[in-house]
Amino acid sequence: MTTTLPPRTTTGPAEGAAPPVAAGTGSPATRVLGIGALVSSALLVLYGLVISPADAEMGDSVRLMYLHVPAATYLYVGCFFTTIASGLWLWKRTPGWDALAEAGAEVALVFSVVTLGAGSLWGRPTWGTYWTWDARLTSTAVLVAMLVGYLALRRLELDPAARSTRAAVLGLLLVPNVIVVNRSVEWWRGLHQGETISRIDPTIDGSMLTALMVGFLALGLVFAWLMVHRFRVAWLEQQADRFDLDEALALRRAEAVDATTSTDTAKGTA
Amino acid sequence: MIAMTHAGYVAAGWIGTAVLLGGYAWHVVRRGRKLSRQVPASERRWS
Repeated sequence: MTTTLPPRTTTGPAEGAAPPVAAGTGSPATRVLGIGALVSSALLVLYGLVISPADAEMGDSVRLMYLHVPAATYLYVGCFFTTIASGLWLWKRTPGWDALAEAGAEVALVFSVVTLGAGSLWGRPTWGTYWTWDARLTSTAVLVAMLVGYLALRRLELDPAARSTRAAVLGLLLVPNVIVVNRSVEWWRGLHQGETISRIDPTIDGSMLTALMVGFLALGLVFAWLMVHRFRVAWLEQQADRFDLDEALALRRAEAVDATTSTDTAKGTA
Repeated sequence: MIAMTHAGYVAAGWIGTAVLLGGYAWHVVRRGRKLSRQVPASERRWS
């Protein structure tokens, strides 16, 4: 006797019906969010590359600030999500927190590439170098290494709960490092400039500040859209793993039943 | 914008960011579509 499990695909079209659009991680809310992200990104191009003037000292390279500063902020936000969700996973053991921690780390890593890429390209004409071992840059590099390590840890072939626990311990260290990155320009005087917009009297021209705010809006919506979709991907991965395990257990049970039946039949024949 | 200084750096930064974010978004959506075929609709609470 052989046992075959029904196919797991439950979204197959009915006989003769048109095939449905592949169901993924989208929903009406993410579609609205996505449209908002696209519209605000178009506004960012307009403000950042056309309306905003060139800086008196840095020239047009200042236009990289409209990407660099918001990307760095959302890198911090992603790390914040991972640390909080890691703590809640360790406390509650709810799979949703584990999925959120993973999503936060991966999206933060993408934003770290934008931060370092735009920052390096801005640094070359401004400082004369793409990279220097300044306190801000070095601490950011450490943060990126931690994010890469966190995501590598999540890909180890371990028991899922043990893997999530180990990753969560590393995830807890992200926000303390973000604080070091953020305060590094105050604690250690280096090449990187200090606070510009978080001061009570921002030392930035009005139209540049507007472009920067549009940058925060656009990259914030992109960040939110990516976080929602990436969280859902992590959730689906957990469910797919669970269904794989269920299938394997069902097959083993079916094999055990087969073996028992065969033994009984053999005894009866003898 | 017509006579932009450091145009190469600005273009590289903006185009690189657009390509990276767009490519990552595409990758996430594709991964989600692939995975959602392996999981019953009842487990996709958002759909």
